[in-house]
Amino acid sequence: MIIDCDIHHAGPGKEGWPQYLEEPYRSEFLRHGMRSLLSGIRYEDGGGRWDASAAKPEHVQEQLLDRYGHRFALLTGNNGSVAGSPDPDYAAAVCKAYNNFTIEKWLPVDDRFMMSMMVPQQDPALAVREIERLAGHPRIKSIEFWGAAERIPFGQRFYYPIYEAAERHGLPIHVHPSTINTIAAPATSAAGNVTNYLQAHCSLPQFYQAHVISLVLEGVFEMFPGLKFALIEGGYSWAAHVVWRMDKEYKGLRQQAPRLRRLPSEYVRDHVRFGTQPIEEPAKSSHFLHLVDMLGGPEMLVFCSDFPHWDFDEPTVLPKRLGEDALRKILHDNAVEFFGFPQLKEDETWAGAR
Amino acid sequence: MGWRTVALAEGVDSGSSKIVEVDGREIGIFHVDDRYYAVINHCPHWGAPICRGRVFGRTVCDNDGRLSYDHDAHTLRCPWHHWEFDLETGRAVAPIPQRLKVYPIRVSDGEIQIDTGAK
Repeated sequence: MIIDCDIHHAGPGKEGWPQYLEEPYRSEFLRHGMRSLLSGIRYEDGGGRWDASAAKPEHVQEQLLDRYGHRFALLTGNNGSVAGSPDPDYAAAVCKAYNNFTIEKWLPVDDRFMMSMMVPQQDPALAVREIERLAGHPRIKSIEFWGAAERIPFGQRFYYPIYEAAERHGLPIHVHPSTINTIAAPATSAAGNVTNYLQAHCSLPQFYQAHVISLVLEGVFEMFPGLKFALIEGGYSWAAHVVWRMDKEYKGLRQQAPRLRRLPSEYVRDHVRFGTQPIEEPAKSSHFLHLVDMLGGPEMLVFCSDFPHWDFDEPTVLPKRLGEDALRKILHDNAVEFFGFPQLKEDETWAGAR
Repeated sequence: MGWRTVALAEGVDSGSSKIVEVDGREIGIFHVDDRYYAVINHCPHWGAPICRGRVFGRTVCDNDGRLSYDHDAHTLRCPWHHWEFDLETGRAVAPIPQRLKVYPIRVSDGEIQIDTGAK
C-alpha cells in the first residue's frame, strides 16, 4: 500500500501521435516524426532497465503495481525534451496530445493510475490554457515542470501566471530533470556542457539548487502561499546546505530579498518536498538517517521509483532503521497530504511495501 | 533613572556617530537626520563592533509585493556580516530573535545624555 510519485509511462508512440497531435503538427509528424531536441548527451547511455517496460499500462501493472503493492502511481511520462523546444506552439500541442493520450489510454485501465499533467512551461499563457482545460480532473495530481538550466529560473515572475493557476486549482508543481535531451538548456551542468550522460546526470542537483534558491528568495511563496513544489530525482542531501546557507546569508543581506517575511528555511519546510529516488547511498549507511534528520525529518520526502529507468528504486530501498512511522510517511502519507491522493478508506490498512 | 552626559551635541553632527565608553561598555551614539540613538557596540551575532557599521533606511515590501524604501526606518548594519537592526528598538529586521541593546537618549542643553539604567 504505497504511493509512487514518479513513473515514466511511455508516450503515444508512432501509432498514437498522429491520433493525438493536432494540426499542423500531425501532418509534420507524418512527414518527419517528432522534432529532434538533443543536447549532445545520449539519453540511451542511461535509458531504461533492460528487463522492464512502461510501454503499456499492463506492463506497469504487472512489473510494478502488483509486484510492490502500489496504492497509487503518479504517471509522469517522458516528455522532458519538449520543455526545451524553442517553439511554444509545438510544445503546447505535444503536451496536450500527451495529456489526452494518458487520460484516454492509461487512466481507464487501472484506478491506481494518477497523472501529472504536461504544460508548455516555456510559454505561461499557453501553459495556463492547458491547466484550465484539464484542472479539476480527479486523477490529475500535479503539473509537470522540467527542471534544468532554464532560460529563466523558476522564482522569476515570468512563471507567475502558471503559479497562480496551480495555486488556484490546488495542483503542486512536480519538477523532474530534463536537461539531458534538450537543446534549450544553456548548459548540461552549472559549469558548462559536460561530456556525457554520466556527468550530466550527476550534475542534475545543481539546477535544483538554483531553482530552489530562486523560488525562495524571490518570495514566490509569499506571493502564492498555497503553491507547492515537489523536487523529483534531483537529490536532497544538498538541501540542508542550501537551506542553511540561505538562512545565514539572508540575515545579513535581507535587503535583497525584501519580499520574505520568514526565514528561507521555513518556506522550504512548508512548500517543498523531495523525491527519494535516486536514493542517497552514503558509504556509511547510518548517515542516511542523519541526512533525513538534517533535511527536517521524514515529512520532507515522498517515495519515487522512477520506473522503468536504469536508476529505478524499489520501495524496499529505504532503510528499515528509519522506523515504521517514518517509512509510512515517506511511502504513503506524505504523498496523500502533499498531492491530495485519496486518504486510506476505513477498510484499508497501511501495510508497507511488498 | 540615571541620565548621564556622554558627549556634546556639537560634536556629533547629523549623519555622524561617536563611540563612547560608559562603565566599561562601549556605546555608539548615532545622529541620523534629526534623531539620536544609543546602542551597545556589540553585535548579538558574533560580537562584532557593530557601531562601526553603516546606517541605512530599509527596503520594504507592501502586501501587493510592491517594493519601496523607508528612509525613516533607521537601520544599523553590522560591518562584519551586514545584519540589520532597527536603531529605535534594537530588533533585528530579519525575522530572527536577536536584539541589539539600545539605551534611552536625549539632548539637554547641548549635551547628549543616555540612561544606562545604572543606579
